[in-house]
Amino acid sequence: MPFTSQTIRCRQLGFLAASLWAAATTNIVADIPPGQAGFQSKVQPFLKDHCFRCHGADKDKGGLTLHEIKGVGGSDEEMTLWEDILIMIEDGDMPPDDEPQPNAKERDAVTAWIEQSIKDAAQKAKQQAAKDGGAGKDKALARRLTNIEYQNTVNDLLGLEIDLIKNLPEDPVKHYRFNNSAKFMRLGPEQIDRYLENARKALASAIVEGERPEVIKKRQAWPSDPAPDAKDRKGEFLKKNIPRSHIGVHGNGRNTAAAGVNLTKFPKQGPFKVSFQASAVLKKGATEVPLHWVMGQGIQENTSTRLIKPLGTTILTSEKPQVFEFTGNIENYPALRGRSNKGRKLPDTISITPINIYDDGTVKNDTSFFKTTNASFPQARVDWVEFEGPVYETWPPESHKRILFASPLRKSNPDAYVKEVLTQFMTRAYRRPATENEVERFFKIYQLVEPEMPSFEAAMRETLAMVLISPQFLIHTVPKKGITNNEYALASRLSYFLWATMPDDELLSLAANGKLSNPNTLRKQVERMIDDERFGDFIHNFTMQWMNIDKTLTVPINRKRFPNFLYDISHGSRKGTEVPYRPTIRDHMIEETVGYIRECFKHNSTVTKLVDSDVAYLNQPLAVHYGVEGVKTHEHQLVKLKPDHNLGGLLTHGSVLIGNGTGTVPHPIYRAVWLREAILGEKVAEPPSGIPDVSESAEGEDLEKALTIKDILKKHRDKRTGACYDCHARLDPWGIPFEHYNAVGQYQPKVPKKGLKVKTFNIGKSKEPQEFKDMQGYLNYLAKINTEPLDATAKLPNGPVVNNMKELKVYILENKVDDVANNVARRLLTYGLGRKLDFKDRPAIDALLAESEKNQYKLRDMLTAICTSELFRQ
Amino acid sequence: MKQKSWHLDRRQFIRGGGASLMLPLLNGMSWGKGQTAGKDMPKRMLVSYIAYGVYMPNGGAGIPNPNKPHHDWSWWPTNKPGELTFNKSTAPFAPFKDNVSYLCGLDHAGGWGLGGHSSGDVFGTGADMVNTQKTNSISIDQVAANRHGHKTRFSSMVLGTEGGTGSYGSTKTLSHRGPGKPIPSLHRPQDIFSRLFNPYGNKPIEDIRAGLKREASILDLLLEDSKSLKGRLGKEDQLKMDEYLESIRSLEQRVERTSQWTHKPLPNVDTKGLNIEVSHKDPQEYIRCMYDLIYLAFQTDSTRYASLMLESEQSNASEMWNYANYVLGYKGATHDIAHKRPKDYSGQWDKWRAEQHAYFLKRLRDTPEGDGNMLDRTLVLWGSAHPHASHSTRNYPIQIAGGNKLGFKHGKMHMFTGDKKVPLANLFVSMLNAVDTPVKSFADSTGAMTELTG
Repeated sequence: MPFTSQTIRCRQLGFLAASLWAAATTNIVADIPPGQAGFQSKVQPFLKDHCFRCHGADKDKGGLTLHEIKGVGGSDEEMTLWEDILIMIEDGDMPPDDEPQPNAKERDAVTAWIEQSIKDAAQKAKQQAAKDGGAGKDKALARRLTNIEYQNTVNDLLGLEIDLIKNLPEDPVKHYRFNNSAKFMRLGPEQIDRYLENARKALASAIVEGERPEVIKKRQAWPSDPAPDAKDRKGEFLKKNIPRSHIGVHGNGRNTAAAGVNLTKFPKQGPFKVSFQASAVLKKGATEVPLHWVMGQGIQENTSTRLIKPLGTTILTSEKPQVFEFTGNIENYPALRGRSNKGRKLPDTISITPINIYDDGTVKNDTSFFKTTNASFPQARVDWVEFEGPVYETWPPESHKRILFASPLRKSNPDAYVKEVLTQFMTRAYRRPATENEVERFFKIYQLVEPEMPSFEAAMRETLAMVLISPQFLIHTVPKKGITNNEYALASRLSYFLWATMPDDELLSLAANGKLSNPNTLRKQVERMIDDERFGDFIHNFTMQWMNIDKTLTVPINRKRFPNFLYDISHGSRKGTEVPYRPTIRDHMIEETVGYIRECFKHNSTVTKLVDSDVAYLNQPLAVHYGVEGVKTHEHQLVKLKPDHNLGGLLTHGSVLIGNGTGTVPHPIYRAVWLREAILGEKVAEPPSGIPDVSESAEGEDLEKALTIKDILKKHRDKRTGACYDCHARLDPWGIPFEHYNAVGQYQPKVPKKGLKVKTFNIGKSKEPQEFKDMQGYLNYLAKINTEPLDATAKLPNGPVVNNMKELKVYILENKVDDVANNVARRLLTYGLGRKLDFKDRPAIDALLAESEKNQYKLRDMLTAICTSELFRQ
Repeated sequence: MKQKSWHLDRRQFIRGGGASLMLPLLNGMSWGKGQTAGKDMPKRMLVSYIAYGVYMPNGGAGIPNPNKPHHDWSWWPTNKPGELTFNKSTAPFAPFKDNVSYLCGLDHAGGWGLGGHSSGDVFGTGADMVNTQKTNSISIDQVAANRHGHKTRFSSMVLGTEGGTGSYGSTKTLSHRGPGKPIPSLHRPQDIFSRLFNPYGNKPIEDIRAGLKREASILDLLLEDSKSLKGRLGKEDQLKMDEYLESIRSLEQRVERTSQWTHKPLPNVDTKGLNIEVSHKDPQEYIRCMYDLIYLAFQTDSTRYASLMLESEQSNASEMWNYANYVLGYKGATHDIAHKRPKDYSGQWDKWRAEQHAYFLKRLRDTPEGDGNMLDRTLVLWGSAHPHASHSTRNYPIQIAGGNKLGFKHGKMHMFTGDKKVPLANLFVSMLNAVDTPVKSFADSTGAMTELTG
């Protein structure tokens, strides 16, 4: 069947489906009588003609049969099935393009009939719900806080910044799905046990006792002259020419600033301050030196058990010394436990280490242990570092005074004081006014606890810890009849959606006055929330789960094929493994994706910008990796792209390409699944059981040796008899246009000749030709052997032939924008409501989308519309 | 059992992170009721799991072909039923010939319909998550723990290498209390150690007891508070609240049991050679440490039932993804070893796994107990829910070891193929009965597995 006519029809359909939502449907419905009559007279015969052969009594392709469907008006399951059928027909995915096609009129009439049936069923369900006493009664609304929401909430509530997640069991993960749904988040005794541990830990930090603790200080300085011991056994050392106060891109030696500060005396809890004086030594045309600080068990001995956490990154731009400062909570940084030495226990230590993370793409070229290039790169000069802690601005600290506030009651009527403390605390913790009964019960807990505790503060800590494991705290967004109004639930729903934390005072006070649900107020609040810093938490959570890019960080990169991608340890017992303390290109890629989506929302970009764009969000190391010139900063920035960069939109993000590759070669199946799930919003079934693997069905082709998987895949697919064909014929073509992007996310349209043995880069055993003497030579060699153009041509299912990524993007932009917008809106809603959407939501979503379409599907507006929609407010 | 190891000695203990907390840390282990163990010798069980299948050339359907020469690197020691012989891959088990059996052709029908990487969910349960039950159900270790768990300080012990519960289709635990109640696995050796052997930190026992009494009253009040909330909720939300109430109730029960156990001294354990600070990045050290902890828990009779998810399917967001990388220097994902099957690596990978498991069997066998050794009274199940590289969910690779004094006979390869096919659950029935947990059926079982016990 010629594909051109297909394409045209598809386009028309897309147009029809988009524009006929609201107004014109009734005309077509007239073709088919609504309800059961229409089913029997027209719809069932249509299904019989076009579907039953594969999805009927004889065959159940994809596990789906339709011959037993009775009509409409049945169960929710049945309506859900109708919605699936509607999507398949509407998108032109079914019947597949090698089957006879219904004519356009027939098809439109049937989809319109289904659409109307769904509308009717949704209307009926709504009326029923109203009769039962309130919409949404049948839906699970109670949502346990996710781990990140929990940590944010505890910290906001107590005025702290401590890490609580690492003690909690991980939230469940389901690829391309969100983990905040009511259904997904279960509670068990083990979970509550951990919450209690956390609550006690957090309250121990928030409520203090006794005198202001003594401040521990340590200051270390380095002179700006070369170290006297700057020699090694060969008489030459990496820190040659680098003064002791200077930190090169390859570090520096012992007793230099690069070794940082070791603390053997430090507080066990409370805020600390790290200050230092630093300046940039700019070379090679650099305009800044990024200086990254880590703190914890130290980086000097690269044993795997050591743990460190980032403290922050300072961008040094001036050659004049300046003083900088970091603050943090010491509880969050892992100390190295002191070893026992002949019965004497050595003290625990915490190390603070600065690392020069400047990289213009040539840092890894010098792979020798004795780095000779250190002096030629930009350096960070650090004259001194000072640790100070605990540094409480006031004593007792704000967190303490906020809970145990000053009041004459404390002396005159202690019981009344406790009740007042509880009322205020619980009202904030529950995100709505605490009732008298609720306060009374916790007062009883206080009375139980008090006699056994050494102090009033300890008793309050224990009592409040119990508040933090109560269901009213752990489960949010439950409207409670008789206790509170819907306004508070709305405030919580809104703030857990857009901030991943509890509502702030402004939201709560609007809710208290019953003003939040006013559409104008609500819109203003949503705008304020999007502009707030906390919006970043939403974007991060939402994006990581939506894009499913976590795995990018753990895909094992083939070091032989991509020798300069990772930062490896160059010597010692862990030689050849990745350094654990340095932000990598993969981290920059995650920020590229998360940051890009954040910018799209903030700047109200159209949804098409997710598919293609002439700007990218890059920093220097990443820009160099992609071959984009002129980016000189460590911070990501929006960069204008040129066509020959072959970048733009999410489809070419390294985070997507690496995560959906094997670390050695691209993986068209993974990439196809990603495109269909994350961008087009389709559900792709898991590989069924009993299906042979790609390489097995390809008659012994070795995946390991193959330069691309595409050819192997073709064999897999071409076995038209097997179960492979049905799914892969509809899947693979979406992944093949990605072939020009290699396993580390670079545009690479050519590969070595088939059968050519690629020489590996192994500087240690340098019997290799001259060209391998350094990384640059090796990279030149690689570029030279890449002579064979890769084929990235695919015939899209029910679509045209596309020859490469650019054409794929054009196809999507011309035909699938409605799908992309529908996908984004549905994902936002699913995440915001914390539940799966069903057919009953369809009319409301369609209306929302129709409105958004008039506005070119602008993202920020779409988000605002969702937050102010009836669906979200009720 | 020798009473010697039961005296109280805390000096050697390494202090755990949260030792100052009042409520004992219970995660992953439930406390038994405060009764004495009685005179019966402990009968134990471990269920352990490896992911992504095993190497099986000429084993298309998960059954080695008896008509072709047996491959040196096949996971199966031999391709013929009868007397066991060992190949390169299974060489570490050669010294255990009289303690192990290989069972070919077994699987859980309930897992057939799950996706290729999801069938691990039902390895310990045999639940039908696709068609009939739609959810997971109680696992074999918990069936035994429900009956005898009160005899030990912890009714069971649930470990894994990734920790937590995971979710539908990508579990991180083998154990479930019942439908919708996965038990999160513990994966940090330090945590496990202090929870097992130093649950009270360094507090005086009287303080612990007083604290526990208080906890119970507090939990009562919390329960009351939550109940008052429940009445005001919609139907679905009430279910959520039930889950919460049940959790609190179960904590309350455990507090009670814990309180009773405080009258028993904690066991003294020999921690020599135990490196509980080891991380995932040393897979061998780490895995052995997990095995060591189970060994210690068994040896001190702190628990009798354990599960250990050695590897989880779909671990692409965790260190496990790189395991083969650390172990073998293989430059791909551990998952891809299963799919790509480069001969050298896959065989080596299976052998490495075998070495670790054999290490555990050896520790048990080297520890005398009664008229035999610990292995004689411990049933150790080891296997996967995939036969090999394909996404098949039938014909699991299964090895059962130990229990020689519990009625198990070993040294053979059993092939349950063709018309001899029986459900894997039949083995579970035999295992449960062998540890004095009389059951007639488990999941889809059709009887007991007399081939091993008859």
